[in-house]
Amino acid sequence: MDEEPERAKRWEGGYERTWEVLKEDESGSLRASVEEILYQAKRKRVMETHGQVRLGMMRHLYVVIDCSRSMEDQDLKPNRLSSTLKVLHPPPTFSTSKGVGIITTKNKRAEKLTELAGNPKKHVAALRKAVDTVCAGEPSLYNALSLAVHTLKHMPGHTSREVLIVLSSLTTCDPSNIYELIKTLKSLKVRVSVIGLSAEVRVCTVLTRETGGFYHVILDESHFKELLMLHVKPPPASASSECSLIRMGFPQHCVASLSDQDAKPSFSMSQLDGDSPGLSLSGYFCPQCHAKYTELPVECKVCGLTLVSAPHLARSFHHLFPLQAFTESPVEQHTDRSCQGCQGRLKDRSVFSCPSCFSSFCMDCDLFIHDSLHCCPCCIHGPSVS
Amino acid sequence: MDIIHFSTEDEINLLVIVVDVNPLWWGQQAQREAEFTLSKCLDAVMVMGNSHMAMTRTNKLAVIASHCQDSHFLYPMKNWGSSDGATDDASCSGDGKYELLSVTNNVIAEEMRNIMLKTEIKGNSTATLLAGSLAKALCYIHRVSKELAVGQEMKSRILVVKASEDCALQYMNFMNVIFAAQKQNILIDACVLDSDSGLLQQACDITGGLYLKIPQKVALAQYLLWVFLPDTEQRSQLVLPPPAHVDYRAACFCHQNLIEIGYVCSVCLSIFCKFSPICSTCQ
Repeated sequence: MDEEPERAKRWEGGYERTWEVLKEDESGSLRASVEEILYQAKRKRVMETHGQVRLGMMRHLYVVIDCSRSMEDQDLKPNRLSSTLKVLHPPPTFSTSKGVGIITTKNKRAEKLTELAGNPKKHVAALRKAVDTVCAGEPSLYNALSLAVHTLKHMPGHTSREVLIVLSSLTTCDPSNIYELIKTLKSLKVRVSVIGLSAEVRVCTVLTRETGGFYHVILDESHFKELLMLHVKPPPASASSECSLIRMGFPQHCVASLSDQDAKPSFSMSQLDGDSPGLSLSGYFCPQCHAKYTELPVECKVCGLTLVSAPHLARSFHHLFPLQAFTESPVEQHTDRSCQGCQGRLKDRSVFSCPSCFSSFCMDCDLFIHDSLHCCPCCIHGPSVS
Repeated sequence: MDIIHFSTEDEINLLVIVVDVNPLWWGQQAQREAEFTLSKCLDAVMVMGNSHMAMTRTNKLAVIASHCQDSHFLYPMKNWGSSDGATDDASCSGDGKYELLSVTNNVIAEEMRNIMLKTEIKGNSTATLLAGSLAKALCYIHRVSKELAVGQEMKSRILVVKASEDCALQYMNFMNVIFAAQKQNILIDACVLDSDSGLLQQACDITGGLYLKIPQKVALAQYLLWVFLPDTEQRSQLVLPPPAHVDYRAACFCHQNLIEIGYVCSVCLSIFCKFSPICSTCQ
């Protein structure tokens, strides 16, 4: 074990003079300095663009939700379980994922709530029903991980295999040695990340360090949401994952009108899962076998072809071409006092300028552009676009 | 079932109208059909804006002109800042019209005149850069939603009046803007004057808005008022034009053909029509 991380955790070591970081404002509140710390962390995240590193764009991700007794704790309103389910819904578009699945763990066992699927509708429905589950017993990290690995080890090599655990309990009840399982995970290249709801637990630190994931403990609900967003970004691909061209189909949406004589209503393949809308005239037809589906993305049950639509792939483009961070400068240097994005007055301490077109933006616009828009509004006025 | 829907006092409806004022296209249009020129189009847009503001006291409006190299806010103007008051000389319109509407019309006309006189035209493309205007509209909506008082909710939508053709280079930026709008629950409606626009059809389909290609340009005001004025709750009770069939097939990177089955690189997501062991974009 290294000595370095140990020293930071010693009570005297990591906690020297922490009061100097916090500063009170005129009314005595610490909110400004806490917000400043969180804001700096956000800026750091924007700054560290991966550049030319290959990203693992196709991901298979299992989300493990702890349903043990500690989830009934009311430090997150109304209780931890409802808060977790609220943060997960609407499911953040793990848009680059081929599939997301949900596993719950309680009573020393683990249970698969939904299988790996690209379409979020099933997960949303399952999460909505999960609000009523009774939280009891203790979680089992070993069982949850082995259940996830059972499916993930069959996934093809070019996809990334990930597990995200939301753990609120400080204990885990495992049938056998978890360090052996960690070795297995490492050899299968499964990346495990943990979001802790109560406190740092040593076994999670080792787990995430060995497999190459992240371990964070939340401060409050908004921090929880931010940590979740951290996992939406695709992680750098490991060097040994193969790069290959995957065959995919792009079906057309055919709508037959009621007045067309040849139009025949038909069942879609989603009937096989039991939640069918019945007979319908319109749908997506697989280009290879002409099986009908109502929604995309889906894997064709008849011929195995993955069916997607072009916007699904377009959703992930902003990860491949990330927007550069804007340069910060004090507001006095700028004579024009209005923000080029929202036309409002520049009233913050600093102004953000795009390095390519040098237009200035206010802080709100800067955050909005980097979180949601992913393109500079003034740069895209130029006709030359990659 | 309640037939009439009253919006509550605290709900604000913001409509952002993006007008395509590409001077090259409008110049050619004036030679083709003299009855429908840019000023008639702006008249129709002003009527639409006035009607929207007259529906409820809490409705808000913004108008953006999308030029071939830049976009400008026609209304509201920059130097108003936080004050909502109108300038003194514009308030005496003399014909008894609601002050806010006459001020709005004057401001829009004045700004339009300024833009047309001052902007130099570089290049000769008839394609307008809509993605930039939509991005600015989203930033504006984001700012207004932050400035709301406690307890007020806001619903916004964007109406695009498009004249010229699509610019194919804008695809990726356009899609980024559309997904940002979808995440914020902002509808994008499109009223197309001349040629069908695949990008706008996708935008309307993804965000849940309406797409309409107008059969007769001179009746623009009628179409705007009948189809695009009602907001989302009222639209469910009206019979509106059916959604257009959107072609979501992807184009391959090597030949730009539309393909139904393709090969997607797992690293860079480029689409090819034939299999090859090495991806040509990323290796």
